Amino acid sequence: MVVLSLVVLAVIVVNVILWDYQMNQLDWERTRETFTVSSVSRVTRSSWFVTQTEYEVTEGSRISGSYLDTQIADGSYERFRESSPPRGFDANGTFSIDTSDFPLAYVDGVEILLRYAVDDNGERWFLKAYNWTSEMYSDSGFNSTSGHAPSSGWNSYTVNLTNMWRSYVSPEGRIIIKIRDQQPDSTRTNMDIDYLAVRTVVNGTVFTFQNQGSRTAHLVSIWVNDAALHRRYETDLFVNSGETYSYTRLDIPLPDGQYTAKVISERGNTAVHTGD
Amino acid sequence: MLSNVLLLVIAVAGMSISITATYVITGNFRETMGERFIVEDVWFRPGGISVYLRNTGKTRISVAGIYVDYITQPFTSLQLEPLEHGWTNLTYTWMPNTVYYIKVITSRGTQVADYYKSPP
Repeated sequence: MVVLSLVVLAVIVVNVILWDYQMNQLDWERTRETFTVSSVSRVTRSSWFVTQTEYEVTEGSRISGSYLDTQIADGSYERFRESSPPRGFDANGTFSIDTSDFPLAYVDGVEILLRYAVDDNGERWFLKAYNWTSEMYSDSGFNSTSGHAPSSGWNSYTVNLTNMWRSYVSPEGRIIIKIRDQQPDSTRTNMDIDYLAVRTVVNGTVFTFQNQGSRTAHLVSIWVNDAALHRRYETDLFVNSGETYSYTRLDIPLPDGQYTAKVISERGNTAVHTGD
Repeated sequence: MLSNVLLLVIAVAGMSISITATYVITGNFRETMGERFIVEDVWFRPGGISVYLRNTGKTRISVAGIYVDYITQPFTSLQLEPLEHGWTNLTYTWMPNTVYYIKVITSRGTQVADYYKSPP
């Protein structure tokens, strides 16, 4: 009976010691975890998406360069020329929005930027886009439908598709842009495209997390609080020891005015950032 | 012969009681020692205070009481498995720009407490 009692006592003691060791390790790991939210900023635009294929010229011709020259605004261009009489120009380029980084569900709009030069300033130039609903090119809903009057040298023409953007972007994120001249005229114009790209208008947040501890931090929730609302967002993010990580969330809008952003780790630590 | 059988029965019964007692005692110890939780957020809302808890321990927790300035307050019940999280809401009339000492206690006695200032 005495031996049995000793065995039971030993089992209890061993169990408690082992469990205590595990929980101490948990607490120790928690104290070793140190991370900060070093910055929080609003993100309102995606990066620019350029064409990855050659332009399709349906009226006029391509003279020199390639679509690769239209991917960077650096003065290196692709040259097109209006057709022989009636001297018109019409070309289409296909652009793809990266929907893995910028899901269309979080997109509020689309912008198009054209940087170009012409050797005849006598006519305006127009941007249209393929409307996937009506299956025709249109500029309905664009903030600018009157075209762009070029001056000498490089011209920048920016168009916003406003709240009609959904009609012009396929579910896969494809958008086909048409460039065309105003009308047939007396001059056969050369058109140089230095840059043509699209980008999305978003309302998200970029967080920068810095792990200054010796343990990898597993971040599990983000809070954005202001005087009126406390909003919690799930996350599943690992930040290695010593690493600085920039994290973009398009589903997290920053409130106007003063706010507090908090990030919580799985071990139960919290980092706070206040901004306005 | 009968005495041998009786002795055997007593020995088996004794062992069973001992094992059960060991299981219960160590189980209780483990659960009590394995409780960890944090308060992720405290939100002063009109007519009450909401407290968001996360179970960071290794055992299920059940909120048994919430105290505001050392006085227990009615709250919505909350049980959380390890890694689970959720709101519990207190009915409490708070004053703006006031510091409150809020303490959350689990059914096993683990507690987390801190000061929280209400918004203006």
